[in-house]
Amino acid sequence: MRRFGLLFLAILLCSIPSATRAEESYTLDLSEIEKKPYSFAGYVEARPALYGLDSSSAFYRLRYFDDPKRQILGEANGRVRLEGSYEKSLFRVFARLNTDLQYNDSAHASERTTFYEAYASAKPADFFKIDVGKKTLKWGKGYAWNPVAFADRPKDPDDPEQAMEGYIVATADIIRSFDGPLKTVSFSPVLFPVYDHINSNFGQNNTLNAAGRLYFLFYDTDIDVMFMTGGGRPDRYGFDFSRNLTTNFEIHGEYAWIRNNRKTVLNAAGAARTVEGEAHSFLFGLRYLTSFDLTAIVEFYSTSAGFHRDEMKNFYSLISRGFDAYTKTGDLAGLARSIQLAESGYARPNAMRNYLYARLSQKEPFDILYFTPSLTCMVNTDDFSANILPEILYTGITNLELRLRAGVLIGGRNTEFGEKQNTWRIELRAGYYF
Amino acid sequence: MSDYKEKVMIRKVLLIISLLVCLAWPALAVDGTKLLREIDRNLSPESYESYRKLINIEPDGKKKEFTLFTVKKGTDKVASLFLAPASEKGRSTLRLGDNMWLHIPNVGKPIRITSLQSVVGGVFNNADILQLDYAVEYDVLDVKEEGDEYLLRLKAKSKSVAYDQLKIRADKAKRLPTKIECLTEANMLIKTLYFKDVKDFGGGLVRPAVIETDSPLYKGYKSVMITAKIKKRAFKDEVFTLTFMPNLESLR
Repeated sequence: MRRFGLLFLAILLCSIPSATRAEESYTLDLSEIEKKPYSFAGYVEARPALYGLDSSSAFYRLRYFDDPKRQILGEANGRVRLEGSYEKSLFRVFARLNTDLQYNDSAHASERTTFYEAYASAKPADFFKIDVGKKTLKWGKGYAWNPVAFADRPKDPDDPEQAMEGYIVATADIIRSFDGPLKTVSFSPVLFPVYDHINSNFGQNNTLNAAGRLYFLFYDTDIDVMFMTGGGRPDRYGFDFSRNLTTNFEIHGEYAWIRNNRKTVLNAAGAARTVEGEAHSFLFGLRYLTSFDLTAIVEFYSTSAGFHRDEMKNFYSLISRGFDAYTKTGDLAGLARSIQLAESGYARPNAMRNYLYARLSQKEPFDILYFTPSLTCMVNTDDFSANILPEILYTGITNLELRLRAGVLIGGRNTEFGEKQNTWRIELRAGYYF
Repeated sequence: MSDYKEKVMIRKVLLIISLLVCLAWPALAVDGTKLLREIDRNLSPESYESYRKLINIEPDGKKKEFTLFTVKKGTDKVASLFLAPASEKGRSTLRLGDNMWLHIPNVGKPIRITSLQSVVGGVFNNADILQLDYAVEYDVLDVKEEGDEYLLRLKAKSKSVAYDQLKIRADKAKRLPTKIECLTEANMLIKTLYFKDVKDFGGGLVRPAVIETDSPLYKGYKSVMITAKIKKRAFKDEVFTLTFMPNLESLR
């Protein structure tokens, strides 16, 4: 009986988790935090994708006019991003090089390598810094759109968190802090040259543009006022704000006013004319976190610089007439003109006037760690077509990010998402940081 | 008659004793606010820089680690920069009072975050990572003495504070916390912080190097915060601004 008791005690002791018996020791190796004058980092990504094509849509006809019956398009995408920096005294240089690779069974292989950023900085004091070189400035508070990002390339609303290519600028940050309701003021002036080999795709060549952003943290509200002038693009002015109403509820907004904005519009017969006038764009959004870790981002974006429904309809009709002419006579003139107009603005993402964006993401549902399913929906509220993007993200392996995403485009003929070249897509993105 | 005189005398003596006790009470009782401020200062200087590692431990023992460089100034300014892992490197967080922002280099502009979210996942939330002095966010309701420890009951000064109530157990001799329970307004336990491995960090700072936390809301999960270096350092206010966030690395 006594032997049985001892055996039971031994089993019991063995079954106690080791953590309660021996105190686990934790250490932080000081070599991990040692600062070096240089740094190097990188990111590689593989993104295979499959598209379900809509051969009767306008953009399909524009792109695959010589292959009218294609149903599926397979695509393999790759990305390599390398970045490095070197710091000495108050000077620092930084570069981020991006290579995009693409192979699909229509256009075959393509490769594009470019510096996303490459600039030199001098920081003589904590309140003053100068940067010269290629840089992204990232103005604005919106998640999917930034109408006040005057000196940046437009975001991809399908993937707003992607790194972006900058422009060549000279910029500075001057910061002052205060006690009281006005806590911070900072000013960031920008010189933005547009010449033959410098930012040549930005706008009017041979112009030296000036831009600036004035930031305030006033009564716990972030406020920015910005401008850009100089002739590269029509002068523009704007402001944005962001504020937490409660600990889990944030609101933000942007407004931009563009003087003498020009856009090319088509009439029903397909004749183009340039319309010049003021353009106003605004965005209002919110971010809300529920008690069960669901994050909701909702934004409404409106711009009078966008195309009206009739103007887009006339563009789709022009493509249709060009395609008919090509199939009947082999004449490419109509399609060539459509391609030219597409590049001038009709094919840009969200080319129309009013959009609603909603993104819901649930952190670790059903106690599945590092797993985040999301649902994104973008609705064109002019024609009520929509792009719906369900996705799942897994980040359980250190430095590896896996994302499976689908896209379903909903809309009839002559609607923005209904006339895209595909009706659905599915893609897997595997990204590794090092 | 003599009985009457005796009763009057007893009453007078009792009255004098009561008055003496009332007068001496403030001197005998522990000043909770002063004690809490002492605990704050023993945990960290008012302005400092530190290096920390955060480890999230899953029930199966799997770990995820983050290394942070943190700077703090005064009562309401804290900023942190992620040094590792590679997927998080360069991210920074800023807290100015109740305002919190996260800057992700690729995404660009800093976005507002909330105290109850967690930029690292696990049991520690943003308020734990970008922690201000307890005396800044909480009032002391009462202090009890239990053996070698003080038990302080704290109430949040405003609704914007992450936890409505705290129960702090502090070592009487060292004036350092050993355990903190974080509770909701309805007295529900959100998480418990355990302070371990008291270590001399130099400059007169002797404090726990390890803070462990668990939560009934995350059964079986544990998060650990290890402080490797912490030292007093003065900063300009301009360091704690949105515009400076991409430059935090230059302070190292």
